[in-house]
Amino acid sequence: MKKLQRNSEIVWRIEKRRQQAVLDRLEAGEESGDEGTVILLISGMMHQLNLLGGMIWNLCDGQRNLDQLVAELQQEFDVDPATLQTDVREFVSDLVERGWLNYDQSTD
Amino acid sequence: MTNPLTEQFSAPLTFNWTLSYRCNFTCSHCYSREEQCDELSTAELKLIVDRLAEHQVPFINFGGGEPLIREDIFVLSDYARQQGLNVSMNSNGWLLDRTAAERIKASGFRSVGISIDSAEARLHDDFRNRPGSFERAVNALDELSAVGVRSTMSAVISRINYQHFHELLDLAREHKVSQVYLHNFKCSGRGFKNRQELDLSPQEWKDFYLEALQVKEETKDLLISFDDPVIASLPGYAEKSLVKGSSCGKLSLHLRPNGDITPCGFIPLVVGNILHDDFEEIWYNSPVLNKMRNKEAKGKCQGCGAYEDCLGGCTARAFATTGDLSEPDPHCWK
Ligand code: SF4
Repeated sequence: MKKLQRNSEIVWRIEKRRQQAVLDRLEAGEESGDEGTVILLISGMMHQLNLLGGMIWNLCDGQRNLDQLVAELQQEFDVDPATLQTDVREFVSDLVERGWLNYDQSTD
Repeated sequence: MTNPLTEQFSAPLTFNWTLSYRCNFTCSHCYSREEQCDELSTAELKLIVDRLAEHQVPFINFGGGEPLIREDIFVLSDYARQQGLNVSMNSNGWLLDRTAAERIKASGFRSVGISIDSAEARLHDDFRNRPGSFERAVNALDELSAVGVRSTMSAVISRINYQHFHELLDLAREHKVSQVYLHNFKCSGRGFKNRQELDLSPQEWKDFYLEALQVKEETKDLLISFDDPVIASLPGYAEKSLVKGSSCGKLSLHLRPNGDITPCGFIPLVVGNILHDDFEEIWYNSPVLNKMRNKEAKGKCQGCGAYEDCLGGCTARAFATTGDLSEPDPHCWK
């Protein structure tokens, strides 16, 4: 299965304070909200990814395929595996379609 | 997936970095020509890069003064690239020959901006007080294009060019420029002293922007950019910018040659030093930065329907002319 890789043209960073605030809310049993924890700068536009999106983005470093990515996230989130799998798949295919993520040519 | 910005960023996206106030030109509108400041060693500059990388600042833009005057500029840019920063620069082009262009390419600059104030060589040379500077600037654009570096063109709008910006756009096309910045006139340094002669009246600014925005909309082969927050007050203005009002202190900061931080190159208020102070403390708690981020409407801005989008216009201009960050921008036509 092919590995997922961020488009190297895209400048991005984790917004650590916001990420921490969202994690603190989750910890306290509150809704995580849709706050952007990762920002992407693409052609002068800024896009923000929420906690799950940001985590997926962060893991797409060319070292993991989709299943490995889901497995890793499963350790972080206490959610139904099938739902997580669907959410991650949808998110990844959206970003691949936009050209923000690519499937690496090499396979494992 | 994408949300409106609700909260402050953890660090600026860009540091505009003046490595030196030295310059080989004496331009009439220059904000920095009268400034003097100690310069740092290469080792200290590299420490600054480490700081910026540590705080995940993605972009640095070298300005000046003339950045190519510092002989270690490429040592620094190579180092910044290694640390994962994206590097660009603004230059007057005089020193940018083929060798420099190749070095720029090798160093991985994202883009290089060349200042050109008029498409007419004589006017540009006069304005920059340097015969032959137009030719060298245009040549710099060609050298950049020859080695495959993205070039941009910067023009500060003033009386000498506001009715001729179409010619500037044509010049940009001829020399394969990808983006033209039509900068607002800042009224700082020499620009302040010469402002009677160079600055437009508020009505002229309005007319200029109405026309230029129209041209921007119709232009497909060239990116045209403005940096004047007061245009958000124009009826029907629909561009989405990353923040409202001036971006200084919200998306960007400026570094002086000695490592002092100011909100932008045009606001001479030092909020701390990148080498000696805690950056997070400055970024989150500087009273000046927080004042700029939370401006209160004053004077005619009070009750102005555009305030939400315009936030009083350019903070640097308001400060230069009134000494108050929250006063209305003197270019405002309302
Ligand atoms: S009055 Fe103030 S808020 Fe209104 S357009 Fe002028 S500068 Fe902007």
